[in-house]
Amino acid sequence: MSETTIERDRTAQRPNGIGADAPRKEDDRLLRGDGRFTDDVDPARALHMAVGRCPFPHARILAVDVSAASELEGVRQILVGADVARRSEPISVLRPVPGAPPLPFYALAQDVAVFEGQPIVSVVATSRAIAEDAVELIEIDYDPLPHVSDTIGALEPDAPVLHPGVLSSNLLATNPQGAGEPEERMAQADVVVEDRFHINRVTGLPMETRAIVAQWRPGARELTVHHSTQVPHLVRKQLAESLRMVEGEIRVIAGDVGGGFGLKLGVYPEDVLACLHAIDLRQPVKWVEDRLEHFRATTHARESVHDFRIGATADGRILAMTNTYTTDLGGLNSPFGSAQLSTIVFTGPYKVEDGYVERRVAITNKTPIGAYRGYGQPEVNFARERLIDRLARRVGKDPLELRRQNMLRPEDLPFRNPGGGLYDSGDYLATLELVVDAVDYDGLRRAGRGPRPDGRLVGVGLTSFVERTGYASAKFLANRGSQFGAHESVTLRANRSGGIDLYTGTPTFGQSSETAFAQVCASVIGIDFHAIRVHAGDTGATPLNTGAFASRTMIAAAGALKQASERLRDKALRIAAWRLERDGVEGLAIDGDVVRDPDDPGRSIALAEVFTAAIIGQGIPIGEEPGLEATAHFEPEEAAYAFGSAAAVVAVDPETGDFAIERFVMSHDCGVAVNPLLVEGQVQGALAQGFGAALSEDLTYDPDTGQLVNGTMLDYFVPTAADIPEVELHHTAVPSPVTTFGVRGVGEIGTIPPGAAIANAVCDALAGEGVELTALPVTPERVWRALQQARNRSETS
Amino acid sequence: MKPAPFDYIRPATVAQAVDALDQHAGMARVLAGGQSLVPMLGMRLMRPSALIDINGLEDELGRIECSGSETTVGALVRYATLERSPVISERLPLLAHVVRYIGDRQVRNRGTLGGAVAQSDPTGEMGLVCLALGASVLARGSGGERTIPIEQFFEGSYANVLEPEELLVALRFPLAPSRCRFFERGRKHNDFALISVVAVGSEDADGRWHDVRIALGGINDRPVLAPAAAARLEGARWDAAAIEEAAQLALEVADPPDDVRASADYRRHLVPVHVRRVLTDLAAGEDR
Repeated sequence: MSETTIERDRTAQRPNGIGADAPRKEDDRLLRGDGRFTDDVDPARALHMAVGRCPFPHARILAVDVSAASELEGVRQILVGADVARRSEPISVLRPVPGAPPLPFYALAQDVAVFEGQPIVSVVATSRAIAEDAVELIEIDYDPLPHVSDTIGALEPDAPVLHPGVLSSNLLATNPQGAGEPEERMAQADVVVEDRFHINRVTGLPMETRAIVAQWRPGARELTVHHSTQVPHLVRKQLAESLRMVEGEIRVIAGDVGGGFGLKLGVYPEDVLACLHAIDLRQPVKWVEDRLEHFRATTHARESVHDFRIGATADGRILAMTNTYTTDLGGLNSPFGSAQLSTIVFTGPYKVEDGYVERRVAITNKTPIGAYRGYGQPEVNFARERLIDRLARRVGKDPLELRRQNMLRPEDLPFRNPGGGLYDSGDYLATLELVVDAVDYDGLRRAGRGPRPDGRLVGVGLTSFVERTGYASAKFLANRGSQFGAHESVTLRANRSGGIDLYTGTPTFGQSSETAFAQVCASVIGIDFHAIRVHAGDTGATPLNTGAFASRTMIAAAGALKQASERLRDKALRIAAWRLERDGVEGLAIDGDVVRDPDDPGRSIALAEVFTAAIIGQGIPIGEEPGLEATAHFEPEEAAYAFGSAAAVVAVDPETGDFAIERFVMSHDCGVAVNPLLVEGQVQGALAQGFGAALSEDLTYDPDTGQLVNGTMLDYFVPTAADIPEVELHHTAVPSPVTTFGVRGVGEIGTIPPGAAIANAVCDALAGEGVELTALPVTPERVWRALQQARNRSETS
Repeated sequence: MKPAPFDYIRPATVAQAVDALDQHAGMARVLAGGQSLVPMLGMRLMRPSALIDINGLEDELGRIECSGSETTVGALVRYATLERSPVISERLPLLAHVVRYIGDRQVRNRGTLGGAVAQSDPTGEMGLVCLALGASVLARGSGGERTIPIEQFFEGSYANVLEPEELLVALRFPLAPSRCRFFERGRKHNDFALISVVAVGSEDADGRWHDVRIALGGINDRPVLAPAAAARLEGARWDAAAIEEAAQLALEVADPPDDVRASADYRRHLVPVHVRRVLTDLAAGEDR
């Protein structure tokens, strides 16, 4: 495997170029307290907003009395539902559910609220505390309506219909996809394994909650919006739509963003409210979401139920897979809606040509579901990989052997899977063999299944997976009604100091794009990494782009960066050649802060001189345009598929269900790594969120009251560093043929394996008891209950 | 998450603090470390008319004093102090040991023993250890000071027998048995316990155990002793059968809650398992 393992490229063409562990450009300011997050923006005369929210899962709003609140000293304005309907349009979506009718909703609920936490009123006052006092003084008369919390229950005929004006049931849409003849293959199969898998509702919990500062200057006709977002240009578009403004009147600025994970992909009701208040009051209005609001008003994720089925021959060759799954949308749409990628990767890295997958979207009285790191891929991976292990036991093979037997080989690629995904390239099996070797799988198998002296049972679990990164094309997105493109855009502008200003609409939210972008430019241009200054996230200064999500940033931006860098470099060299009195640019190269002639090392010219000449248009070749700037837009030809495998070794206490994760090894391939250090950080960070969702996080609604019972940091068990097992990471690097430099996306892959690998390991440890886990998270109590059930089954049978 | 309005009072003496409590007639809350109170204020789950900040009363409330076999720990002694105090390590090692199960470093630097006991969280480590060690609560009101045996102190979830105008000023501990063992399990590192178990006792030269006390946390609406379990082991040598019997007897006091951390069934299942394991470890010479 060593030939495919990334060698840290210490000898990259440029120091801190592509392949180098460049230090993060972002860290100096963040570590020294000089970051500027939205709450750090503190304009003079700023007012503060608080939002009154529906305490019921489903209720008719009978009356709203703001009189007492209006009289509180310091209160400046109160908006109710009717004000918002008069003054704004419903909030638009960015990635609609294919085939679904629109579910329009305003920033404040009109007659009926459909989830606990939905905004009902908003108050602006001279302080947040006063605004919160005022919210308490507003009397809202509710008529609680029957609610539905359960994803599958919402589709039962007797469930209350939540949007009766638009739909006759709570099924928003059904999206089928498939290839081949899966039912015929199932009929031919010697073995069919199937089960229902429940995926928990979780949330991404960025350290910085959502936040906005809106300021309207009527004379300038400019609404300046500081916003904690992953997509400032898309926020500008959505705000213009909701506020009935033109985009030119709105400037959205995303400064430092304290984590996004898919939760900050567009406009939420509070954004529209803050802008309406700011426009009316002609004073800046700030709203910073508190953590209680965050748990109820920022999108949740993942909740879904998968009915997965695998048919195989008696010797374990997989003939077909099907998955009919229902995602929970919550009460309303969100900019991205519930996860869509459980469809496209449902067959994983296996050679399956006959398959069928159907996505159903159910509406419930819960917080809307949105995008979250992984967006359907961890969910379906759990279902499929649990069943692969079941299939192995049924046909009497080791799960490792069954995976080896069915995995796509490099020569099978490119491969169009039944979910519609086109796998570009890769050596999937190599990643599996890496983790198998690392955990000494054969040794663990030889050690046998008896309990240890401490009574614990040891198990090992495997999972292999692919990850769709980036988007196939603008055409693919257009077919699905998406309101954005598959490309990225970047502007490079030389400055007189000999540096380059890099302008991008991709804000900085922990994904280190500033660093990675500068590395690409440094490599292509030859300029010093430190001479590149990245300006990110201001729609008033950056080229229109799509934004940072779907592990797509480098997939698309690499091409734009390369093209813009080449154009700027070539022009700079022409000017340098002319000033050096040479005939052509041949042999000239930028080297750090100079343009050098390698044949004549004594002859060089400072970049600052070349750039200044271009900028002032003095001393440049005749016929050459003044100025030195390049903008490029790039759309990759296809999505790139990252891939990997993981192994978990657990020791289970069969008396309590408690288990320790003693080893967790993951291997993955993100193609060419622009910065291996950042890749490792991305994978580790996503793994941490993956462990949380796999082991402990579980947003729970009381079935009787319909209320969220664990919407605080006290009761929502997000893991700390002490709760996360040590992870051993291995890499392979198969360049993708569909992207510039051969990169694959890397932001999300770590979320995929923990649930499947850990559950498979626990079930392996308890195979003697016949335990099969079918739900996340895998808590000790759930393991104990599964043990009880298995023991009861064996007693009664 | 901004608190509702309140008055802020910072008394210079315990007498002033008690006066302020009296004046606010049960509507005031005492601010010590603030680790439980401040989040509750932010969530507006508590709306006191006043906060009485006792952090200026280190002289009166921040001492650890020894008198014969007794150790008196002031209400304002912080967890971090307990953790590092040589006196506590020597005389009440269990109290120092369990601090590592409380919150994080920041919480331990601010949180206080008196605050924890007054808060009366049914899953709290401090109340559980005070119960296992047979401490007494010293409380001062306008009528003077009284001593409350810890067994009579807790009244329910976050409830105790302190009068609204009384200030908890100290915990007084008798001589601790020579041996102790603590176990705690939560849903995540240092989270609220879904079960915690303490066993203490002294083993004589003959291998018989005396002064046995077994206490459970997270299993009831308050920390509780398991007297039947302790009685089974008092004066006895501990073999596997005796320990198993005691473990089952511990269930007699268990009335576990059903909540987001664990079901009542699961907690009930865990009680004899972990009591047995704690006792087995203690018998095997594995302390703390």
